[in-house]
Amino acid sequence: MKPLKTTIEKKPILGWLLFFATLLVVFVLGLLASSIMERRAEASFVNVPKVKLSEFEPRNEVWGENFPREFQSYYQTADTSFQSKYNGNAMIDMLEVDPELVVLWAGYGFSKDYNQGRGHYYAVEDVRKTLRTGAPANENEGPMPSTCWTCKSPDVPRVMQEEGVAEFYKGKWARLGSEIVNPIGCADCHDPKTMNLRVTRPALVEAFENMGKDVSKASHQEMRSLVCAQCHVEYYFDKTKVEGAQYLTFPWHNGMTVEGAEEYYDAINFSDWTHALSKAPMLKAQHPGYEIYMQGIHAERGVSCADCHMPYKSEGGQKFTDHHIQSPLNNVANSCQVCHREETATLLKNVFDRQDKVIENRDKLEELLVRTHLEAQKAWELGASEEEMKDVLMGIRHAQWRWDYAAASHGGSFHAPLETSRIISTGITIAQETRIHLSRILASKGFNEELPYPDISTKAKAQEFIGLDMATLNEEKEEFLETVVPEWLKKAQEREDSWDVVRN
Amino acid sequence: MIRNLHPPKIWRIPVIIVLGIFAGLFALSIYLSKAHSYLSDDPKTCVNCHIMAPQYATWNHSSHREVTNCNSCHVPHDSFFNTYYFKAKDGLRHATVFTLRNEPQVIFIKEEGAGVVHQNCVRCHENQLMDAQHSSYVANYEAHRTDRKCWECHREVPHGRVNSLSSTPYARVPLPESPVPDWIKELNNND
Repeated sequence: MKPLKTTIEKKPILGWLLFFATLLVVFVLGLLASSIMERRAEASFVNVPKVKLSEFEPRNEVWGENFPREFQSYYQTADTSFQSKYNGNAMIDMLEVDPELVVLWAGYGFSKDYNQGRGHYYAVEDVRKTLRTGAPANENEGPMPSTCWTCKSPDVPRVMQEEGVAEFYKGKWARLGSEIVNPIGCADCHDPKTMNLRVTRPALVEAFENMGKDVSKASHQEMRSLVCAQCHVEYYFDKTKVEGAQYLTFPWHNGMTVEGAEEYYDAINFSDWTHALSKAPMLKAQHPGYEIYMQGIHAERGVSCADCHMPYKSEGGQKFTDHHIQSPLNNVANSCQVCHREETATLLKNVFDRQDKVIENRDKLEELLVRTHLEAQKAWELGASEEEMKDVLMGIRHAQWRWDYAAASHGGSFHAPLETSRIISTGITIAQETRIHLSRILASKGFNEELPYPDISTKAKAQEFIGLDMATLNEEKEEFLETVVPEWLKKAQEREDSWDVVRN
Repeated sequence: MIRNLHPPKIWRIPVIIVLGIFAGLFALSIYLSKAHSYLSDDPKTCVNCHIMAPQYATWNHSSHREVTNCNSCHVPHDSFFNTYYFKAKDGLRHATVFTLRNEPQVIFIKEEGAGVVHQNCVRCHENQLMDAQHSSYVANYEAHRTDRKCWECHREVPHGRVNSLSSTPYARVPLPESPVPDWIKELNNND
């Protein structure tokens, strides 16, 4: 073979051919390289979130731009059309349903107003509307401390970050009225960078520390309940921990049981209020939903809150967690029937059976407690001494604590029917023991007959019976909602308008 | 021989430059396409093309992630030669489809690939499938136990049922990051 150069020297056209062939190869190779580059660049735009979320972004709508499915399903918590046999997402005036409650809570805010809660969407609105938060005209007025906001909004972690935790718990409820405006939502449970579940409320972290546990070691499945346990638990405000602060604390030091919490409260001599009729140092149980749930069979089998209340759903071929947090009874197919193969009607009956049976005894205990309060009141009237009444008052405290623990643990009669029945039955025993004791005291004062049961057949009658001026309370509230709240909202709007939303 | 291919003296410089460009572009293509990674078994390689993200995400959420990588199931393991022959053949087909933007919105496995996957199911799960005692007295035992595709029944193993390109929008998948090194990005950063 001749050297290439001699060939080309002879036929220059071959040289040109070689030149253009090389040119073509380099050109095509360049195209390939740029195509690979383009397709690789696509990867950096795959599913890029629209908004860069800041660490404490409280606005659910801003998160919603990145996660439309989750946000839109969350937004359905605004629905109020579902009522099950006892609960649901509509607002129910529980004092109307059960006027005995007014007497049980005489002297305490709950006797003014107590409703079955609506969805998370209404968290902030409903806490403004309830008569229990009163009608503060300025930030230093009102019956409630700022701590009452703790569970209402993703603005809370933001303000806690700005002010410090103990500072947050200082002052009146009205102090933070313009700060807390977004209802419970994304930032309460999610890390904005990774979307991992996170605990944002210090009270849960501290409660775990008090039990010698570390909440940051929780598994993902445990977190699917623990984010709920930030709020759906029994708590109280510790006024001794930090000067001037009403420090939100869970009474889990002796374990997460009704007796554990009772023992804790007794040891520190804590009471929420003194009963207006019986003068007993009362405890108010606040929705110990998580504690009761942990005693039930579903918890024992490792089922989390989200498994039933936020089951997976599929939309357009995409599987995601349904953020419409609601009663599983409104969505049996996606919740119960994932594990249980029975008909919907059968499953509903199984739930209602448990609820009916537990409530039968709960109502009995309720009536006993009304009688006990009135008999204690009678004993005071007849001149009983503090010493004589000591055991009676403790009996009333413990019996009503158990009733409340069962009643306030919404869903407890299904979450842990056995434990709930046990709590109520010990409550009945204590109440009856106390009444025996009381009847001896009454007899020793010369009163040896049955005290007539008052006519508390309606909320209005019961409230009149304990001496509440409802007209004034309602009027003040109306005024508050018309004058103070719009000011709060205006201030909040100004603040949020000043925040930049960083878009990708 | 090589000497024969040398260009005329006057052309040497341009030819060197052209060959340099040629080699450089080739190297760039290798770098951009992460061609070296295709020699490994790492599942990250398969999401070099972002359209495989749902497959990666569903595998990564399945129990199979503990014991398999993509190649364990999608490449035959009957002989060393066959393993790399199939891998090269299938890989080049994928690369071509991706480069030409010919990918479908919903990716289905081809007949040949399905056969490979099925063989691999049997390869690991043989003890669950076959029982020596039965095989000695049941007619056509082996055929009856293995002639259906496993996923006729086990339909969600391991990728789930629906796998369109957009079925796992928020999954965290190790897609290739920008090939531009940080120092160049910083040069571009005018503020």
